[in-house]
Amino acid sequence: MAAPANTDSRLTRAFDNDWIGPGIVSFAGVIGISLMQPAFLSPFNIFVLLSAISVNMVIALGQLVIIGIGQMNLALGSIGGLVAISFAGVMERFGVPVPLALGLALGIGVLAGMAGGYIIARTAISAFIITLAGLQIFKGINLGITEAQPFYGVPDSVKAFGTGSVMGPLPWLVLPMVICSFGMWYLFNRMRIGRHILAMGSNPHAAEMSGIDPRATIIWAHALSGLLAAVAGVMLVAKLQIGHPSIGDDWLISSFAAPVIGGAVLSGGRVSVGGTFFGVVIIAIITQGLVMFNIDPFVVQIVLGVLILWAVAINRLREVRVARLQARGTGA
Amino acid sequence: MTALQVSKVSKSFPGVKALNNVSMTIAAGSVHALLGENGAGKSTLIKIITGIYPPDSGSVMMNGKPVRFANLRQAAAGGLGVVHQERNLVTRFSVGENIMLDRLGASALSRVDYAAIHREAETWLKLLDLEVDPRTIVSRLSVAQMQLVEIGKALSLHSRVLLLDEPTASLTPNESTVLFRILRRLRNDGVAIGFVSHKLEEVFDICDRVTVLRDGVNACDSADLTTLSRADVVQMMIGRAERITKRAPRAQPDVPPYLQLTGYASGAGHRDISLSVRPGEIVGLYGLVGAGRSELARAILGLSRQLGGEVKVAGKPVHITSVAQALHQHGIGYVSEDRKQEGLILLHSVLANSGITLWSKLANRMGFLRDSTVNAKVAPVLQRLELKTPSVYQTIGNLSGGNQQKVSVAKWIAAGVKLLIIDEPSVGIDIKTKAYLHDLIHELAEQGTAVLLITSDMPEMVDVADRILVMDGYRIKGEVENDRNYDAVSKAIMGFIHNHAAA
Repeated sequence: MAAPANTDSRLTRAFDNDWIGPGIVSFAGVIGISLMQPAFLSPFNIFVLLSAISVNMVIALGQLVIIGIGQMNLALGSIGGLVAISFAGVMERFGVPVPLALGLALGIGVLAGMAGGYIIARTAISAFIITLAGLQIFKGINLGITEAQPFYGVPDSVKAFGTGSVMGPLPWLVLPMVICSFGMWYLFNRMRIGRHILAMGSNPHAAEMSGIDPRATIIWAHALSGLLAAVAGVMLVAKLQIGHPSIGDDWLISSFAAPVIGGAVLSGGRVSVGGTFFGVVIIAIITQGLVMFNIDPFVVQIVLGVLILWAVAINRLREVRVARLQARGTGA
Repeated sequence: MTALQVSKVSKSFPGVKALNNVSMTIAAGSVHALLGENGAGKSTLIKIITGIYPPDSGSVMMNGKPVRFANLRQAAAGGLGVVHQERNLVTRFSVGENIMLDRLGASALSRVDYAAIHREAETWLKLLDLEVDPRTIVSRLSVAQMQLVEIGKALSLHSRVLLLDEPTASLTPNESTVLFRILRRLRNDGVAIGFVSHKLEEVFDICDRVTVLRDGVNACDSADLTTLSRADVVQMMIGRAERITKRAPRAQPDVPPYLQLTGYASGAGHRDISLSVRPGEIVGLYGLVGAGRSELARAILGLSRQLGGEVKVAGKPVHITSVAQALHQHGIGYVSEDRKQEGLILLHSVLANSGITLWSKLANRMGFLRDSTVNAKVAPVLQRLELKTPSVYQTIGNLSGGNQQKVSVAKWIAAGVKLLIIDEPSVGIDIKTKAYLHDLIHELAEQGTAVLLITSDMPEMVDVADRILVMDGYRIKGEVENDRNYDAVSKAIMGFIHNHAAA
C-alpha cells in the first residue's frame, strides 16, 4: 500500500491495523484451547477447521465488498444456494462437464448479484429492501427447481476437491480461499474499482462530485458479491458432496460477524481483508472449541452474538477517538 | 473576456420565487463576489450554474457557449470547478488519491499506479504552495489544508471557472491570508473566480467585482467594487424598509426577566454573553451569518455545554442539559430556522407535528394517546393561526412553506411555552404570511410570552423587535432600543458590526 507519511510510532501504527486485534485473539484462542485439549491441534481437527474457515472466508468476502460500499447484502446466502443447486443439478441431470458447470455456476452468481445491484443503483431504494426481496426470489427459484430434494450426482473429481488434502492437514479448499482473499485485497488496495467502492462507502457525495459513476460502482460491487457467493456455493457442494437446497440458509449472521470482528465499519469505506480472515478464524475456533468441550451448540450462538457486540463496541470507541482528534485538529 | 455569464435567470419553487431575472458576468482573471443575506437566492443561483437545478428561464454561458450541465460531474468536465462549504474529500484516502480520484485508471479493473498519481498530484500541490506530501492521509490535514486540496482537485480538472462557497468559513485569519494569496495568483493566471462570503472585509480585500442578490433579484449586477463603499454594499444586501412600520414602539412591562444569562460561555464558543428577556417582551438578536446567534439558541436549549456564567429561568439558577428539559421543566420552545430538518417531520400529519410537544403531557396513565385528546388541544391553536389545510391528517410536507411555518410555531403555542426562541421565521415564505407571522409574534408577546427573535432580515427586525441585541463573533456587541425608525436603527446596528470590522 501507499505508505502514508506518518509521524506516529511504529507500534501505534501497527495497532491501528484492523487485523492486529483479531489476530492476537485468534492466536491466544488457538493456544489456550490446545493447552486444555491437545486434540484440538490433531491433523484431523486442523483439516476440519481449515475446510470450514476456507468456505466461511469466501462467504465473508462476499459480504465485505458490499459493506465496503456502505450497504448490506441479505441475498448473499440465497445466491450461493441457487448457484450450488444449479452447479450440482446441471451435472446430475444433463451430465455437463465440470469446467462448464463451474463457469455456468459463477455466471449465475454474477448475474444474480448484478440484477440486485442494478435495481439498487437505478432506483436508489435501500439495498436492505432490494436484497431482502432478492433473498426470497432466489430461494423460491431454488425450491422450485429442487422441490426441496438434494442433487446427489456430483462427480468424483469435485468430491475429491472438497474433501481431499493437498498435503497433510491442508485441504484443497484452502486454494480458492487464498485466491479470493488475495484478489480482494488487491482489488481494495490497488484497483480502480476497489478504490471507487471504498470512496463511495466513505463519502458518497464526495465520490460523486469527484466524477465517480455511483451506479456503475454499485453494480460492480454487487456483481463481485454474487461472484464470491457463487464460489462459496460451489465449494460447499464439493465439501458436502451433494447439491443441498439448504445451502446458504445459515450464511447471514457469520457473513456480517466476521467482517465486523475484523474492523469493518458497517457505514462503509473501511474494510480489512486480513481482519476479516481472523474474524472467520475466531468464529471457527469458538464453534469448534465449544464442540470439543461438549458445550451445548446453542451456546455458540450466544457467544457469537456477544462477539459481534464486542467488535462493534471496539469500532465505535475507535470512531469516537478519531472524531475527537479531528475536532481538536480544527480547533472547533 | 467573459468566462461565465448568467443572463436573466428565473427559478420558482412552490410558493416562492427564488430567483427573478438574475444576471451575473464573471470575467476571466477576476475575483467576483456574490453577496446576499440568507434566502436572497445565492445558493439557488449556484445550483443553477452547476446544473443541480434547471432554470425556469434564462441562460448560463461559459466562454460564450450556452451550457446546461446535467449534474456536477458534467460541470467539472466542462471546466467548472466548485468548492463547496462542506468538505468533499474521502478522508481515509491520501491527498493525491483524492485529487486524482476520477483518474485512477483507464478501466474499472485497472491497477492504480500510486507513484504516477502522487507525482501528478504533487504538481498541483506545488501550484498551491501546499507543502504536504501527496501520500498523506487526508484526515491528518488541517481544515485549511483540506480546503486547498479541494481547490487543487478542481484545478487539476483544468477548471477555468472556480466557484468558492464561503471558503473562509472555517479558516483562521492567517489561513485566509494564504488562501487569498493563492487566489490572487490564480486570478493573474486568468482563472475566473466566483467568491461567496458573508465577511465583507474579505470581499473588499480580494474581489474586483460584486453581484448582490436580495429577495431573488439583482440589487446590483457585476458592479465595479472600487466604486462602492462598504456602506453601499451593506445597504444593497439588507435593503431599505419595504413598507412603513405600522407598529408603534411598545411600552415595556416592568416585570423581572423570564430568562437571564450573565457572563454566559458555551462549548460552541460563546463568551461573556449577558442578556435578559422579560415576559411579554420581544428581544431581537441581529447579526450576520456566522455571528453565533442560532448557536446561542441551541446552547440555551442545552445542545452545547455551558462552560461559564449563569443561566436563570424565572429568577432561579438552572442548568439545562437537554431540549426535553428546556421544554418540560422550563417552558422554553425553539422554532428552528431549518424547518425541514429540525422543525417538522415532513412525512407526518399536521396533527402529529403540532401535537408532538404535548404527547408526554397528554398521554394517560397507561401511556396511551388518542388523536381526539391531542386534537382538542391543538385545534384551537391551528384555528387561531388560520392554518390552511384540508384536514389535520394532511401530510405536512404537502403544505406551503408559510403553512408549514405556522405549524412549527403552533406546536410550541400548544405546549404553552413561556419563552419562545424564533430563528429566521420568514425564510422561504411569502410576504403575506410573513406579515401575518409578525402579527402573531406580537400577539404572543401581548399575552405574556417572552420572545427571542433571531433574524438577518433587517426590516423584519425593526418591525418586530422591542429592543435589538447585536451579535458578532459569538459575543454581544451592543444593544439598540428600537424606536421603529428604520434608518437610525439599522445604522446603529451596522455601527456595532462595523466597529468590530474596523478593529
